[in-house]
Amino acid sequence: MNSPRLAVAQGSARHRALQLGGLALVALVLLWGAAQEPFRVGQLTSVLIFAIAISGLNLATGYTGLLSIGHSAFFGLGAYTTGVLVVTYDVEPMLTLPVATVLCFVLGFLVGLPALRIRGLYLALVTLAVGVAFPELVRRFTDLTGGAAGMVIRSKQLAPPEWTGLSLGQRGVWLYWVSAVTLIAVLLLVRNLTRSRTGMAMIATRDNEAAAASSGVHIASVKTIVFGLSGAITGLAGGLFAMYVGALSPDGSFTLLKSIELITGLFVGGAATLYGPVAGALAVVFIPYYSSDLASGHLSGIIFGAVLILIVFLMPEGVVGVLNRVMRRFVRVTPTSPAQKKRKTR
Amino acid sequence: MDIFLERLFDGVTNGAVYAIMAMALVVVFRGTGTINFAQGEMALFTTYVAWWLTVQGQPVWIAALVAAAVGFVLGAVTERTLIRPIRKRNDMASLIVALGLFTGFNALAGLIWNSESKNMPSLFPAGQDDFTTVGGARLYFDALGVWLVVIVLIGAVFFLFNRTRLGLNMRAVADNPESAALAGVPTGRILMLGWGLAGIIGSFAGVLIAPLSAHQLGLTTMFPILIYASAAALFGGLDSPVGAVVGGLAIGLLEAMITGYVGFVGGTLPQTAALVIIVFILLFKPTGLFGTRQMERL
Amino acid sequence: MSLLEVTGLTAGYGPARVLHGLDLRVEEGEVVVVLGANGAGKTTTMRALSGLIPHTGTVVFDGRSLDGLGPDAVVGRGVSLVPQGRGTFSHLTVLDNLRVGAALRRDKAGIREDVDRWCSVFPVLAERGGQEAGTLSGGEQQMLAVARALMSRPRLLLCDEPSLGLAPRIVSELFATLADVNRAEGTALLLVEQNADLALDLASRVYLLEVGRVVAEGEAARFREDESIRRAYLGL
Repeated sequence: MNSPRLAVAQGSARHRALQLGGLALVALVLLWGAAQEPFRVGQLTSVLIFAIAISGLNLATGYTGLLSIGHSAFFGLGAYTTGVLVVTYDVEPMLTLPVATVLCFVLGFLVGLPALRIRGLYLALVTLAVGVAFPELVRRFTDLTGGAAGMVIRSKQLAPPEWTGLSLGQRGVWLYWVSAVTLIAVLLLVRNLTRSRTGMAMIATRDNEAAAASSGVHIASVKTIVFGLSGAITGLAGGLFAMYVGALSPDGSFTLLKSIELITGLFVGGAATLYGPVAGALAVVFIPYYSSDLASGHLSGIIFGAVLILIVFLMPEGVVGVLNRVMRRFVRVTPTSPAQKKRKTR
Repeated sequence: MDIFLERLFDGVTNGAVYAIMAMALVVVFRGTGTINFAQGEMALFTTYVAWWLTVQGQPVWIAALVAAAVGFVLGAVTERTLIRPIRKRNDMASLIVALGLFTGFNALAGLIWNSESKNMPSLFPAGQDDFTTVGGARLYFDALGVWLVVIVLIGAVFFLFNRTRLGLNMRAVADNPESAALAGVPTGRILMLGWGLAGIIGSFAGVLIAPLSAHQLGLTTMFPILIYASAAALFGGLDSPVGAVVGGLAIGLLEAMITGYVGFVGGTLPQTAALVIIVFILLFKPTGLFGTRQMERL
Repeated sequence: MSLLEVTGLTAGYGPARVLHGLDLRVEEGEVVVVLGANGAGKTTTMRALSGLIPHTGTVVFDGRSLDGLGPDAVVGRGVSLVPQGRGTFSHLTVLDNLRVGAALRRDKAGIREDVDRWCSVFPVLAERGGQEAGTLSGGEQQMLAVARALMSRPRLLLCDEPSLGLAPRIVSELFATLADVNRAEGTALLLVEQNADLALDLASRVYLLEVGRVVAEGEAARFREDESIRRAYLGL
């Protein structure tokens, strides 16, 4: 292996500086985004929301190897939870997010149960079932969801809270910042989770279930909890999405195509990488945007399909996976051993 | 009684189409060990080809045969270029490729022929008066025609599998690919032909179902068929052609009876019902009724 | 010129190399046995020769190179492998198993004749003809695997540990049949074995493998009788 140009010891001043620099860069990019014209801010908000949704999918599909074609259902359940609570019960929108998250955790946990007995292809079929069933159920329970006609959240209900000093017209900026903060929180959660013992257990389950089980990983709880968390995070994104679009309909954003979009985003960005979902979300939002005018959306379908296939062939680790590999050539963060620490303190 | 019979006929007709679509899935699964999620959309594409040919003035039978040929080529080329290179990597890779094809073929059909639904002519007389009465119930000739085509198609597949050299080789590859290669069977070519065969069968499913479907031929015509066919294939056992037929008919009948007699479901949830069946089968009888293969490949 | 000439064969799985330049040859109609402990590379040799895994070095059969050929093409040249663990088609009937063995042949009458012949050599196959191969006992499956490999009328039959997991009586029966086939058909045999004693009775020449290399070779008789060789190499 080539030795990197720049070796940075973990916890050293240089490492700290790099980390701070990174944070500053993120803050700058976010501020720049917030200062754009409203349409652009909206677009960036949807990138943030999709990044959250794909991060959720990443937990199950990327890190734990449980392919889900049904995450559109979590996205939809989250969105409809927020929608119904705000429209019918006049609940403060932000307060609906925890409810959406919890409901989706429960649904995810339930979907994870079959994963205890079946794997791969067959699990994909079960999640497919959930994904297909969701819009049908929304249509069936018209009283609650508005059925096929859909439901509309009045913009007045989405007003930013007073302490922000933002006007109703600036609710796009408010949602932008809410989504940004949520995304950062989710990324921190995913980062800590995947670096913890649980994360090891997830990856072990993905790579070799039998070996993982024999080394003491409790497969059943790993799978169900991961599916629960995964669904919860994607559902949280769904709740934000409901505020973002303001109008929900079963055939709009919660069909199987949404699942395929999320999967495409995940694999384009890089499965089982922390920042892959962010790169993937950019692709998922901007590819259709720049290609949809051309042929009423069909071209973007073809591009999605082609990109998905090309990624499998040319770049199975995704954009961020490749970037990480390139980065490691130049910069390496070396973990400090206890002995080194002692020497440093002396 | 006659209402019941009419529902029965409906169920058998749809079930027959699910059966052949399920057969296509089974042929692919036996060879490659994966479900081709794009099978339905490939069939959609070839059905559009058939429709386009009829608009150009070709007789519908010719159109159906050309569609079948296109289906063969699509299937075979897909296997050779997209599935074979990545099949050994893992399940996920083949599934992702299938999903890509699923989206791609659907969008391609939309791009070429736009999203408006088309009138796909039936292979059989399909007028209001083209029926015969059985026990007080109307049995339309086009339904009868579907039964006939499906019977012939299933017969042909069984003949191929059980009475020909190619079929024997296909069964050998499905059973143990390495041993088949060691016996001199060109496994790659056999898999390619299997996917091609599935493409042919799928095309027929599309050409048969489109004229019967309430919405005619549209971009969403084949997806429900794929769902029902997957349920049928799982029900019968993913590696069993007999199971595909039994499963297809069972799902078709179940659908007809549920939508006819169970008020709550009332026409909006049939897909969900089929999917609930899928989940239950996976959980409690993962090999299906006639299947033998252990369902998961490690 | 020998029937099979292998020079500098290397092969392995992914980055792990198992064979490090192996040389061996088999003459027309000869019976050769390759002995070696677990992990010496016996099975890998067989898999490389039959085209299941890629190799470097040269393999020349009957004057033509087998390098780069897939397993079906290797069978086409007249080299057939009975894999370790038999590899029968468990959901196909016994007779269908035999028919698959003739996948590359076009002479229908000849195939039928051969099916009958191997059914008379291994009467149990005739008895169980319509049963699925998966229902056969281990010994019966081994007979079936050998018969299936012979259905392609190979000039060289490769056998990977045919005695594995079989009762001693069945093993001697099987080896006797192999000897008969070799005498009657002139089919050359390359056997890989851990069961040294029986194999040495059958073979005329022996190769001894250790960690991917040939460390000794010679007449089977010498290996059978020379106490020091037996002790040093075979642990007998």
